[in-house]
Amino acid sequence: MSSHWIEAKAQGGADRRADPADGEFDDRLIAMLPRLRRFARGLTGTAAEADDLVQAACERALTRRHQFEAGTRFDSWLFRIVQTIWIDQLRARQVRKEDGEVGDEQLGSDAPVRRIEARLALSEVRRAIERLPPDQRTVLMLVTVEGLSYREAAAVVGVPVGTVMSRLARARIALHQALARRSTANAHPQ
Amino acid sequence: MHTHSDEALVAYLDGELDDAERRQVDAWLAADPAARERMAALAQSAELVREACAEILDEPIPERLIAAARGARPADKAPAREAEILVLRPGTGHSRVPLRHWGISIAAAAALFGLLLGSGGTYLGLRLIASGQAGADQQVATEANDIWLDNAAGYYKLTISADNLLIDVPVANDANAALQKISQRLPQQVRAPDLKPWGLTFRGTRLVVAEGRPAAELVYVTDNKAIGPLSLVIGATKLPDISPTIDHRGGINLVYWRHHGRAYALVGRADVGYLWGIANDIAWQLDAI
Repeated sequence: MSSHWIEAKAQGGADRRADPADGEFDDRLIAMLPRLRRFARGLTGTAAEADDLVQAACERALTRRHQFEAGTRFDSWLFRIVQTIWIDQLRARQVRKEDGEVGDEQLGSDAPVRRIEARLALSEVRRAIERLPPDQRTVLMLVTVEGLSYREAAAVVGVPVGTVMSRLARARIALHQALARRSTANAHPQ
Repeated sequence: MHTHSDEALVAYLDGELDDAERRQVDAWLAADPAARERMAALAQSAELVREACAEILDEPIPERLIAAARGARPADKAPAREAEILVLRPGTGHSRVPLRHWGISIAAAAALFGLLLGSGGTYLGLRLIASGQAGADQQVATEANDIWLDNAAGYYKLTISADNLLIDVPVANDANAALQKISQRLPQQVRAPDLKPWGLTFRGTRLVVAEGRPAAELVYVTDNKAIGPLSLVIGATKLPDISPTIDHRGGINLVYWRHHGRAYALVGRADVGYLWGIANDIAWQLDAI
């Protein structure tokens, strides 16, 4: 063993066993980072914006850790923080992507149904998600991607369950139509 | 809710209907081929959405998010620039004087001294500036090292947070194949030390970020819960070599060192004495000592 190792260990202090209880809240927050990034990416559409959002959410979660109620879902609590900050940012910047929104008149249930080609690129799916109105995008991410129930998603967003149902249905129909249009365009390029 | 609607189909797919509603939708689907086709399309689009978002989970988590989640203060988030000067010694007490104040005060004092005393004073003043710069560089290096250690502990927590461990490239049968795969995403080839004599089995690797560059986290497991999983983070560094040092971050123990442009950190909840012995073995096996 080199002198480095002997000397350094001697100076490293007494042996300490890590306490698993230390920073339990921080540990849970770190463990949630991949899902928070995924949720935020679905909301914002870009990696940089999503990571900014997650960073802000982490900071807010840590300052408000006393507000988390033990026994409730930690992920739902964090999603709510992310969503709240994002809505605040949208209001502040007024950056709704108006041209990407799909109006109600386009969402009739009698729209032609086309089978979506399996070869559709996933990047196109992400772009289609980006074009959804923010409120629809939020419930789509919470329910379809993150697996929350309608009731849980309603609690995160702060709306009735019925509103979650209608937003989700509109989102799924709009997404399906957008992907079907894209698929058809790819199959029959001009 | 109308049970012959898109809303009903979506709720049906999501398992959100009660028994009576489900029976009504079942009857509708049985009688209407168009409804069945529409439901299949909705199910497919949902699957595509999940698939499109799934890969985000496998991306390496940026250092700044690990830092944010562990509550790093804004001043801790990133050094002003890369540190390349300081040689840290284990157990050495480093100044914690804030970088900005330290640099400004020394430079200002030196400049004033030079103005007052002419060329001789200027010479002395420049010496003081250089001294102040060295102190500033030392502070930057110390902060960079702190961030690297905090984040290594944070990545460890992230990796072990999942029941099956959060691993990008699991070791199936061939450990070398897993290492080759992760090495393709790194600036340098990575080798995994054999830690079986310590009762540790190489489970796989995960891509992490260290000093702003891709790095490898090698994960080892054991049945001994007192030791628990361990991870070895290996990344490139511009900082000079450093002797092995013991640290403790956020409930996690670490032994870290730097050798010839590479930074190593053995991370876990095990006793530091145990980690120390393993780290020594690793250093010999990887010729990193």
